[in-house]
Amino acid sequence: MEIKYFLIHDKLVEFSWPPIISEDILEKLNQVTVYLQNAYGEGIKEIRKGYHTLSLRLHVSISEQDCRDLVEEFKMLDARSLDHSAKTWHIPVAYGKAFGKDLSLLAKIHDLAEEEIIKRHSAGIYVLHFYGFLPGFMYLGGLDPVLFTPRKSKPDRQMSKGSVAIGGHQTGIYPMESPGGWYAIGKCPITLFDIKREPAVQLQVGDRIRFEPIDADSFEAIYQLAVQGKYDLRHD
Amino acid sequence: MIKIPSYIHFTRPGMLTTVQDLGRFDMAGYGVPYSGAMDRYSLAQVNFLLSNPKGAAVLEMTNLGPEMVFERSTRVVFAGAEAEILLNNKRIVKNGQVIEIQEDDCLSIEKFRKGQWLYMGVQGGFETEEVAGSKSWYPQITERGYIQKNDTLCYLSEEERFYPPVETKAKVRSDWYRTAQIKAYPGPEWDMLPTLLKNRITKKTFSVSDLVSRMAYQLTEEIPNELPGILTSPVYPGTVQLTPSGKLLLLMRDAQVTGGYPRILQIDNISLNILCQKRPGEKIKFSIL
Repeated sequence: MEIKYFLIHDKLVEFSWPPIISEDILEKLNQVTVYLQNAYGEGIKEIRKGYHTLSLRLHVSISEQDCRDLVEEFKMLDARSLDHSAKTWHIPVAYGKAFGKDLSLLAKIHDLAEEEIIKRHSAGIYVLHFYGFLPGFMYLGGLDPVLFTPRKSKPDRQMSKGSVAIGGHQTGIYPMESPGGWYAIGKCPITLFDIKREPAVQLQVGDRIRFEPIDADSFEAIYQLAVQGKYDLRHD
Repeated sequence: MIKIPSYIHFTRPGMLTTVQDLGRFDMAGYGVPYSGAMDRYSLAQVNFLLSNPKGAAVLEMTNLGPEMVFERSTRVVFAGAEAEILLNNKRIVKNGQVIEIQEDDCLSIEKFRKGQWLYMGVQGGFETEEVAGSKSWYPQITERGYIQKNDTLCYLSEEERFYPPVETKAKVRSDWYRTAQIKAYPGPEWDMLPTLLKNRITKKTFSVSDLVSRMAYQLTEEIPNELPGILTSPVYPGTVQLTPSGKLLLLMRDAQVTGGYPRILQIDNISLNILCQKRPGEKIKFSIL
């Protein structure tokens, strides 16, 4: 797999893999992250990731030659076995009606029954590529192509916290109130991101997610438990 | 040393008055923006002049400014934008002066003459909540997103004598942000631009539009282009994005951590402080490093 680098300045460099959303690339990025942290930890200010890019901010200067050397080091990692400790998390979602105001609209757009959309959305296994856009917002890969939907041309002023939505080739959960151009199909009753909690998120890059349909009563019950800190997110 | 917790009461909140320090750098992996003072140079100046720690929390203000009343004595210093600052409705306060504040003193920030962001440091820094290593305000990350009417801010009133770090009367100049030149490094997608567009971007004089926020400054002039979008990738304060409709977005301190528009430039740190002090209508010119 070809790895390129782009040196923005002597303390900021971006490495990139082929521009596709793929779990292979996600695994490579994770592997490189662990490698960099172990080998060069002290010189690193921050490692930030996209789908196919890894950006490295440094305390120390880096040269073009250093970048070429790093690319070679990354390539050598290929043979090593990966740590497959990724978890699969079960995220409860109440679909439709008051929980997801755009479900019926989305059903119309795709000429599908609402139940079919719920079925397809909750059948998928999604992988967490990285966090971005909003604090705690997960970029998830793995949406059923049937559900791909161009974003709204005019974003909604307010997507409520916990909204589960579809936009473009992606699905996601709004971790906080925000304007948004995606179609809200449901709502998750638990707070997935809390900056005052340690750690702020339970779901790590590389983990997997399944959405589990729940009804309005369960939504309320789980919500109450979560508020009291008594709800444990299930994973296997 | 006696330090008494005291409060500033805001009788007028101002437009976008916030508490800022150097920023929150450890949570970007979870999608949390850095935040921090828009103009870090002025943040450093006020803290230096008060002998505060480098990253002490200060008040960031913009047009329209706030009006505030101090509960107990302290010392404050202003830097950054040039505004008309009134102490008890008279004496004009100058940037860089250490101002002795007495009980019940009222400071009012009136008209901004130059620059976009004004900073007020208080002796010892503000005693506000620290979240993930920073006191910088960001909506829904910190309890408060911006100052509202009748809000209060805590500081520690010190009885002790103050020894200024500089002997002479410091004069803080504001001509450092007068230059139109903004230095920038080519960004990861710069080479996707045809030479014609590269030349246009480096030769053209742009002006800052009315769309100015802590997240991004948008330029008025557009660069029609045919660049494809990119897969969502990292962005930073200072990243210049070119949208499909030709808009140039200059990302600022509250920028998202990732974005899907081509990143054509990365503004140098010093130039980013200069840029943030530009007001709508003011001119800038990129110079490529």
